[in-house]
Amino acid sequence: MAKDMEQLYTERLKRYVTAMRNEKPDKIPIRPFVAEFTAKYAGYTCQQVTHDYEKAFAAARKCAADFDWDAIVPNMVYVWTGLTQAIGTKYYAVPGIDVPPDTGFQYLEPPEEKAFMKPDEYDQLINDPTGFLFNVWLPRISADVSAMGEPTSYRNNLSFLKGGMAMLNYFNAFGTQIELMRTESGTVSAISGILKAPFDIIADKLRGYLGLVSDVLERPDKVLAACEALIPHLTHVALSGADPDKNVPIGFWMHRGCVPFFSKEHFEKFYWPTLKPIIEEIWANGHQVLFYAEGDWNAHLKAFAELPDGSIVYHVDMGDIFEVHKVIGDKFCISGGIPNYLLSVGKPDEVRDYCKKIIDGVAGDGGYIMDASAIVQNDAKVENIKAMTDFTREYGVY
Amino acid sequence: MAEQKQSKRDPALREPKKPGVCIPWEEKVKELKEISADKELVRKVWEDIDALGYVYIWQCLLSF
Repeated sequence: MAKDMEQLYTERLKRYVTAMRNEKPDKIPIRPFVAEFTAKYAGYTCQQVTHDYEKAFAAARKCAADFDWDAIVPNMVYVWTGLTQAIGTKYYAVPGIDVPPDTGFQYLEPPEEKAFMKPDEYDQLINDPTGFLFNVWLPRISADVSAMGEPTSYRNNLSFLKGGMAMLNYFNAFGTQIELMRTESGTVSAISGILKAPFDIIADKLRGYLGLVSDVLERPDKVLAACEALIPHLTHVALSGADPDKNVPIGFWMHRGCVPFFSKEHFEKFYWPTLKPIIEEIWANGHQVLFYAEGDWNAHLKAFAELPDGSIVYHVDMGDIFEVHKVIGDKFCISGGIPNYLLSVGKPDEVRDYCKKIIDGVAGDGGYIMDASAIVQNDAKVENIKAMTDFTREYGVY
Repeated sequence: MAEQKQSKRDPALREPKKPGVCIPWEEKVKELKEISADKELVRKVWEDIDALGYVYIWQCLLSF
């Protein structure tokens, strides 16, 4: 690695980590979660970066080289549809197949009566989560995997072989990607590992949102027991993917466990008591968690404030970032808050004004990372992303 | 002695599978002949590869 690139990487890592520890670095770190924007900038379609991860990696590296960003996700278009197609996964709309080639991939949630887990199957999940996923869930979400008791098939056998080898191939490629980001542009890999809340994962992939809405009313004890059964597994997966150097946080993707998708009482009964111990265990192992609070989670800030100081980084999407700063800013680093609509339809001067407002309001004492509100897709204008970046570099010096 | 070891293992088999495990070593080892020499090696390799199966299904659930 060139010495100047190594020096740049070291400076950026220090800046990023210092802010995440809720301290004051030399400058405000810039860590945009750029997804399909990278395709637009690098001259690819959504189809190309979603279906060919080497193109996605190349697009991310081109952005990292051309913008003065401290950290990015090595591939924020994370779902490689080549892999999901090999498995036979049914719940994706794939660019170029199910949606136009320049539309990002979509998750498809089945109607309530066709949920991937039936309401009377909670006990199976609770008793053996891993067995349930293999034996019941996977055959339902895959067009190729045979259900237990059904005859096996060529497609069934190939699904496991191709899916397993493709997943290994993909995960191994991240090591090279992260090293190239470091050596080519001195860019830090922003997160490591994945976490989802037990309650969210039941809605996302098992019962569906509407199914879970019914279940919290009709079989609340089963829902709570299922969330509790998932705790050790989700903790294990999160820790097994965590940064061994304990610098960057585990990415935690927050979906529909908040008001108004569920009531505050449901959050307090199901979501929080089965998430909090996971965060505490991860923190006890020396890792931070990045709360990627998609939507508006401000109704639950007081619950998050129960966590140990510095244990999380809190990313703001639609929530009022000034309220977030007021309630938990003394405990945790905050990121985000630049509206995606502004990056899409606004003008560079408007983006600069908004960045100034955010920096003045929440970044004075450090503990802030510049980013858009949600992942940046191909609707964002290049000149607006450049304005966000350049303004933060000029104005965000401590 | 063998019976004592067996009696310690059985309750564990009735517990939920631990995270990171698809087929516990305690279950697999019953299918094998007496392992000579390095039993620990056989256990470790079984568990390491078994864990890949665990990664597969949980990553399917969480990441894809």
